[in-house]
Amino acid sequence: MAAHFDTEYQRLEASYSDSPPGEENLLVHVPDGNKLPWHHIENLDLFFQRVYNLHQKNGFTCMLLGEVFELVQLLFVVGFTVFLANCVDYDILFANKFVNHTDSSKVTLPDAFLPVDVCSASIRDNVAVMFVLMISGVFWLHRLIKFIYNVCCYWEIRSFYTNALKMSMAELPYFTWQEVQARIVEIQKEHQICIHKKELTELDIYHRILRFKNYMVAMVNKSLLPVHFRPPLLGESVFYTRGLKYNFELIFFWGPGSLFESEWSLKPQYKRGGNRLELADKLASRILWIGIANLLLCPVVLVWQILYAFFSYTEVIKREPGSLGARCWSLYGRCYLRHFNELDHELMSRLSKGYKASSRYMNCFLSPLLTVVAKNVAFFAGSLLAVLIALTIYDEDVLAVEHVLSSITLLGVCITVCRSFIPDKHLVYCPEQLLRVILAHIHYMPDHWQGNAHRYETRDQFSQLFQYKAVFILEELISPLVTPFILIFSLRRKSLEIIDFFRNFTVEVVGVGDTCSFAQMDIRQHGHPAWMSEGKTEASIYQQAEDGKTELSLMHFAITNPQWQPPTETTHFISQLKERVQREATGDRHTLTSLSGSEPRSLIANFLAGPPSLASLHLGQNGSLTNHGPVGVSDGASALRSLSVSSMRGSCSSAHRSAGHASSASRAMPGSSTDARTASSGSSVWEGQLTSLVLSEYASTEMSIHALYIHELHKQQSGGELSRHTWHRQDSDDSSDSVTEEGGSGGGNPNPRNPIPRSHTFPITTPISSPGPIPSSNSGPNPDRGTTPGQEVAPLQSNSQRRYGGNTDSVGPGGRVVRSARVPMGGWTEEGRGGQHPETVPEEGSEDDMPPNIHKVT
Amino acid sequence: MAPPLYLLVSPYIQPATVGKQITMNCRSEVLEVSVEGRQVDEAMLALLHTILLHRSTGKFHYKKEGTYSIGTVGTQDIDCDFIDFSFVRVSSDELDRVIRKTVGEFKDAMGNGTDGMGQISLEFYQKKKSRWPFSDECIPWEVWSIKVNVVNLANEQERQICREKVGEKLGEKVINIVEVINQHEYLPKMPTQSEVDNVFDTSLKDVQPYLYKITFQITDTLGTSVSTTMRRLIKDTLAL
Repeated sequence: MAAHFDTEYQRLEASYSDSPPGEENLLVHVPDGNKLPWHHIENLDLFFQRVYNLHQKNGFTCMLLGEVFELVQLLFVVGFTVFLANCVDYDILFANKFVNHTDSSKVTLPDAFLPVDVCSASIRDNVAVMFVLMISGVFWLHRLIKFIYNVCCYWEIRSFYTNALKMSMAELPYFTWQEVQARIVEIQKEHQICIHKKELTELDIYHRILRFKNYMVAMVNKSLLPVHFRPPLLGESVFYTRGLKYNFELIFFWGPGSLFESEWSLKPQYKRGGNRLELADKLASRILWIGIANLLLCPVVLVWQILYAFFSYTEVIKREPGSLGARCWSLYGRCYLRHFNELDHELMSRLSKGYKASSRYMNCFLSPLLTVVAKNVAFFAGSLLAVLIALTIYDEDVLAVEHVLSSITLLGVCITVCRSFIPDKHLVYCPEQLLRVILAHIHYMPDHWQGNAHRYETRDQFSQLFQYKAVFILEELISPLVTPFILIFSLRRKSLEIIDFFRNFTVEVVGVGDTCSFAQMDIRQHGHPAWMSEGKTEASIYQQAEDGKTELSLMHFAITNPQWQPPTETTHFISQLKERVQREATGDRHTLTSLSGSEPRSLIANFLAGPPSLASLHLGQNGSLTNHGPVGVSDGASALRSLSVSSMRGSCSSAHRSAGHASSASRAMPGSSTDARTASSGSSVWEGQLTSLVLSEYASTEMSIHALYIHELHKQQSGGELSRHTWHRQDSDDSSDSVTEEGGSGGGNPNPRNPIPRSHTFPITTPISSPGPIPSSNSGPNPDRGTTPGQEVAPLQSNSQRRYGGNTDSVGPGGRVVRSARVPMGGWTEEGRGGQHPETVPEEGSEDDMPPNIHKVT
Repeated sequence: MAPPLYLLVSPYIQPATVGKQITMNCRSEVLEVSVEGRQVDEAMLALLHTILLHRSTGKFHYKKEGTYSIGTVGTQDIDCDFIDFSFVRVSSDELDRVIRKTVGEFKDAMGNGTDGMGQISLEFYQKKKSRWPFSDECIPWEVWSIKVNVVNLANEQERQICREKVGEKLGEKVINIVEVINQHEYLPKMPTQSEVDNVFDTSLKDVQPYLYKITFQITDTLGTSVSTTMRRLIKDTLAL
């Protein structure tokens, strides 16, 4: 190397440190300034979660006050309970002992209190009380620290709302989440909250908030979590409590040594198929340790649970004793019924809408035996009560007789309880229709419930989703005892399946990180041919989401977020479906003028938003149609049609109102009135005209219709052959034995065209579903979608680099690209060999070269 | 007997080794090189300086109206002794001293002449002022990880080949770096005078790089350490 060059450039001897001469000629810059410190937030997952929480809690002040009161309440309940137990002289209260007052004869409340020193001595002597006090003290301190920490965190979020989103805390409760979200999307363009992308989409925000919940929903959907049991006496039952859920999340997502290395990325070794068995062993031993830890901590947790239940529920029970008999959606139900990418408030509002119909449905099944008994008990209790009341009315001194007042109260309670077992004489329930109304809200239901709504089995299964509150509390209480055993004996056996699940169903999305691939709601990857996506899906059975989850979730998300721009194929699916539903709902094809094209939509909106009795009534009229009409028109849609016809005849004033809205909307955007609309354009029409709250009402109604329609269509398509959709898919619950057993019998399915094994058997790509060549065995273990079967396995680095180009094959303009169906490894064993054995892994040798099963979706 | 040449460069040097890893809210670029023991510091200096060259500006001179002018940055060609390669760096001795010190520590930690893997990370971050009970947060926005694989060579002939090869590879790397930097991606916004310390390292007198941090690790431990797990455990229990 030459050390010296002769050039014309010469070093300036002046120092650089001060500004050069001739400043007036210099470029002068204006700083952008970090006026708002909201660019580039470090942990967006947490940030969005907090933004969402603050919105759900109606602003900072409400949240703060609520938390403060909770803390005070806790202190009060503990203190008061201890006081009542130790510091009150009940003999004085019950007047068994007389107080010698000199001045007056009245007994005052302070007379009944024990002196402080006696009181504290008795507390100190009582070991059990001390123990309880200590645990609740720890609990309270924990809550206090949590509270202080949260105040600091949420203060920041509050200033984000006020400064960046320009929403004051006072008006926050009156914004919908969709509006907040729209503003966040706006903010991103300006401030770059997320630095990977120029623009955020709604789906990105949902993915971040719901990252782990989506995984849980998918795992429940694929029956991976051990929550179904057959205890000897109780029959088939579901056990899924908060404690269990906490442990699952601890194991999978955030505990020490969990599968995720941070909140947003799966550890790289879990993305590769190479040492899955080793990883499964590791996971199994972790589960074992966590199970043992649970077992050791069991007494403490138990006391904690009891205290918690006591503090949370005593007040409720005191206020309304009936609430224990009331039902609630079980934790499992919430997981089973949840769409992918559905936020808590969306789920809760939809389940709440279904609550009334569901409890009516459960009330259909009053045991006749109990009714007879209850009627007679009520008779006797009633007559006693009547006499007592009559006597009291005659002379109120009766009340002063010992126990008369209390027996009146008891008899009253007794009659109330009995009455709940006696069905209303003037009400006729039709379970089938009720179930349909429920379906309109909860959106998911196993196939075999339809037509069997009156059966007791259906009721039992439904009660797993919709359980008694008392049962819920009881399950929570015994959870610390049962959880360790579930972990050690059930979950541990599934470790390999879990490892496979996380590897096969994790995708890396630019700007979001690792998410559950089901949550992408890609029909092609996870669609189920029996649920509207026939011909579009390329998923193997292992990859298909059960119960039409992908399709319904997609519809739900598209409807709740009309601004969302899905990928082209997805848009096509949505618009096609919407078009079909609309066509069937309007009924007469030739009346599809622009006015009537939009009018029935709003009528439909009024229909399902109305009281469920009305809905069931209308559905009742059309119930007969289904029996003799297996033609193209679906039941749900025909119900809607009859409704729109009937209410077009007049009567419903509110229908006119929203019909007016809709027709003005259609005038504003004439091109969008009929079939050719896409989802987004169609919905943005309403956006302009209706307030967003009306919009969300409307959206939920529209979703109900679509859910009914999809279910109906599915029923017709599957033509009564429902072998696959067994409730709970028991086979995957007792993992290994049934897998081997099913391996042989998988082909013996009644449907010859499409031999669907029941579940988790072997990787048959469904014949209809893959347009590309079915991969030969050597491209089988390569799950990379971007690789054509013929292509040799490229070295890891360059291969992944190519894929980072962003899924070019899927949305490329050149139409269909030959692509191998993505056959994941593991979980499904080739040739039906046993599921748990190492030999079943195809091509051990090439495993290390395999790229991780991650592709980016831009 | 000479080992085949591919051993020298494979598998760590592939045509395109600027991989992207997605971390939370921060770009992350990975560079991989494999070099001989004595080349480690020069290779590291070359790459780190190249990155810093593009991530430095001249000193800001703020005017009264909230505007500023930018001073000039000198550059300097540096020739390597053990690699056939020369690179451009900011001609700031102070900056050079800081980097050399870190690279020296890294090399010492690697040990001399033995096979080994190591990784230097150059992390650009922003500071975010926090209120009293918490310390200031450092939020990274770009991380460059340079993975080094040290190979042992038997004879002089191989060394000569290696010298050329590594030079070529470093050239590719420099081009990769420039490509990445030329993409219009997120950069912190230009700060006002009061906030300039939150974005730029203003301690040097002749140049003003974005705030950066150089860390290195020797063994290839990718798992999260105990402390981060504990921190997350606590954070998660505290989270609402």
